[in-house]
Amino acid sequence: MYDYIIIGAGVVGSAIARELSLYQAKTLVLEKENDVANVQSLANSAIVHSGHNPEPNSLKARLSVWGNKLYEEMEKELDIPLLRTGAYVVAHNAEEERQLEELTELARINQVPEFKILSFEEALKDEPNLSKTVTKVLSLPTTKVTYPWEVAFAAMENALINGVEFIKNALVTGIKKEFDYFVVTVNNHIEYQCRYLINSAGVASDDIAGLIEKNVPFHITGRKGEYFVIDKRAKGFVNHILYPLPTELGKGVLITPQYHGEILLGPNSELVEDKYLPTTSFAGLAYVKEHAAMLADNIPFNQIIRSFAGIRSTADYDDFYIKESLEVKGLFHLGGIDSPGLTACFAIAKYLVNEVMNVDNIYQLNPDFNPYRKKRVMFHKLSDVEKQVLIKEEPMYGNIICKCEKITEKEILEAMRGPLGSNTIKGIKKRTRAGAGLCQGGYCEEKIVKMISKEFNLSPMDIAYDKENTKLFTQETKVLKK
Amino acid sequence: MIVDVIVIGGGASGLAAAISVKKRNKQVLLIERENELGGILNQCIHNGFGLEVFKEEYTGPEYAYKFIEEFNDLKIDYLLNTTVIKLVKNGDEFVVTISSTAQGLKEIKAKAVIISSGCYERTRGQIAMPGERPRGVITAGSAQRYLNINGYMVGKKAFILGSGDIGLIMARRMHLEGAEVLGVAEIMPYSNGLNRNIVQCLNDFDIPLYLSHTVTNVESDDSKRLKAITIQQVDERFNPISGTEKRFEVDTLLLSIGLIPDITLLDDLSVEVDQKTKSSKINQAYETSVPGLFICGNSLQVHDLVDNVSKESSRAGNCTADFLENKFKPRKKINIIPGKNILYVAPQYLDFGWDFTDLIISFRSSKKLEKAIAKVYQGDNLVYQKRRTFVVPAEMETISFPYQELNDSQDIRVELEEL
Repeated sequence: MYDYIIIGAGVVGSAIARELSLYQAKTLVLEKENDVANVQSLANSAIVHSGHNPEPNSLKARLSVWGNKLYEEMEKELDIPLLRTGAYVVAHNAEEERQLEELTELARINQVPEFKILSFEEALKDEPNLSKTVTKVLSLPTTKVTYPWEVAFAAMENALINGVEFIKNALVTGIKKEFDYFVVTVNNHIEYQCRYLINSAGVASDDIAGLIEKNVPFHITGRKGEYFVIDKRAKGFVNHILYPLPTELGKGVLITPQYHGEILLGPNSELVEDKYLPTTSFAGLAYVKEHAAMLADNIPFNQIIRSFAGIRSTADYDDFYIKESLEVKGLFHLGGIDSPGLTACFAIAKYLVNEVMNVDNIYQLNPDFNPYRKKRVMFHKLSDVEKQVLIKEEPMYGNIICKCEKITEKEILEAMRGPLGSNTIKGIKKRTRAGAGLCQGGYCEEKIVKMISKEFNLSPMDIAYDKENTKLFTQETKVLKK
Repeated sequence: MIVDVIVIGGGASGLAAAISVKKRNKQVLLIERENELGGILNQCIHNGFGLEVFKEEYTGPEYAYKFIEEFNDLKIDYLLNTTVIKLVKNGDEFVVTISSTAQGLKEIKAKAVIISSGCYERTRGQIAMPGERPRGVITAGSAQRYLNINGYMVGKKAFILGSGDIGLIMARRMHLEGAEVLGVAEIMPYSNGLNRNIVQCLNDFDIPLYLSHTVTNVESDDSKRLKAITIQQVDERFNPISGTEKRFEVDTLLLSIGLIPDITLLDDLSVEVDQKTKSSKINQAYETSVPGLFICGNSLQVHDLVDNVSKESSRAGNCTADFLENKFKPRKKINIIPGKNILYVAPQYLDFGWDFTDLIISFRSSKKLEKAIAKVYQGDNLVYQKRRTFVVPAEMETISFPYQELNDSQDIRVELEEL
């Protein structure tokens, strides 16, 4: 019997797992995907917002300002990547300047630190490619960028060393409540029991609720966002995150420098019928290009290396829905965690654990809790001297496997090992960024196939890109037919 | 220690360049990131190589072997499994930073550098193809490597986007290996591959070629494997025409949508880049705007025949030797400009400091011309002309003429006049 089962290992589920590991409670995380952070947490703008945007006094407002601050702590404890870009919200004319004033008022009420209004000329000094049509700017220095996948990975990795258990490829297919405990069925045949159940299933959170509740208190619709990725060779084209003024559809098409040097354009915002199916379209991508061009001049569209779409789980509820179920005691929902969910995730975890579940009334603190995660080596970011030292200890750091992102053999081996190690191409790409660069894996994928094959003693025929059925190959060629 | 020349890349281009410099008694070090020499030729197991250079038809590995043999006979130094991660110039010296398991991180100095790092394949991301993102959409060259070197098939039912040569070769190769190849779509109104490949790889196997078509949707199954694609005819401005949709159920979409010279190593040097070739601009000695830095092969311009790569790189190697022997003097240079019906030219400069008898210009046409005259003008003066038949963008053209009569203050312009 577990004390807690968490359904879903996105940034929110992973942050909750880590927060619960502070206590002497037995926690299990169930994830339907083959990795942490594979859906909503994977494909988004990667921004830690300042909290300037949400309605005052909402949970979104409180948890995003708080969450933004917590990232500074988590950078130290969990070695979470942060790029302190700051952000500019831009206005183009008198009407937009009026809206910018309103937004500034929101920032003030929400207690966003250090915000200020800049003239176009002032803003241009730090952002030479800012569109010449911009007239005024709201500067938000606490806005920053992280690497969302690593946020979930770091939180989960730390949770695991503090005693949490994690099972991937575990789709929850049934939930029952017996007396004072839950029976959670996974993949239609394995049962786990727990005293408290936490539904942080993101896009699927209403479906999970529907397994046990008659009247699910929120309904999730998928809102698709399409993006372009500009190669990191354009790094420095913009230094701040550039936002247009927000609309009812959200924060609009942004230009966002990324932690690893690329630049994101997007997202648009479009309701989709199938919330599990993000697709890109000619129209959507054209919209992104057109709107990005209102923020900056000379966008290097010719250096685009990729486009993708992500899904935001928007609820028919105005705020984050973080509450105990009205029907089933001991079941806690985290519904409608769309933007700013990434920003708020660590605050969401603390809010749930301390203010909604009051865990400290139930369980003792874990005296062995270790808040620190071992620093991950990002070899290409080291100085030449540091590189030399590491190569002496471990010559495999000398072997460049992904030449676009300069990822070494040793880093890829590390990504395959450990409790959260991966044996898929996509898993290794997320962990190391091998294959995320200019040639998109054209060069290194073949080398990584060989490494996976060797490390796990797998035939290349059994190696998958991502999910079980996405095997790379359909048959061997150079064999005799029996 | 400082070597005369470092050659970066040991494929067709690097081998030929290294051989020609070595024959001029220069000290050469070639650096190759793979575990063998030969480059992409090793995965090109079809024939058709060598007709121009050897007057005989070889497979890719055989063609490479001819050069590797000569390379070894000349006892040229080389490093395998070694990646160049940085290239800078300090004064007159180049500093090449290499990384490998055997040597770790190490700096090597050179008086001259030849870039022969080849090209990379354009990917799905660069053309913003709409739809889902399943497994099964893969560049043709990657699929070729998996098939011919590693021995694995990437799919059983394939469609091919883009009629570049690798796509056409792979259509035949997949077919011969037992896969069903349902067709090739090309967004342009003409093929981007060599005519002989259209005939021998598609027509001979009844694989249809859909010109002025592109992929407008990609569908995946529940496990995120490619399930089907939709192609659509496009108008002159490449916009899809509704009502022309054709859906094909396939598990693999091979992309043969273009090759891009790999010049990422030049990022730390301020070379002038040509937006057309997507590579460094050069003068007639294959020298970039950085003195002593030479570039050739597919990292200079994407070739359709390896024989031309070898010839070009051999000339670049000779020019590098000239550079080391100070066989040039600072003089004026003029632009070579692509004119009517010309997509690009290389070289982009004629530098009168280099003293050759002939100026060799490679170019591609911007459209298909049945009969044409290639003309070179300096101002209003026609300085060279030659008749050409069947000029197509897919086939690189080369002209060569003496240039001693040209003045050194007026740009020259290459044109194709349609007849």
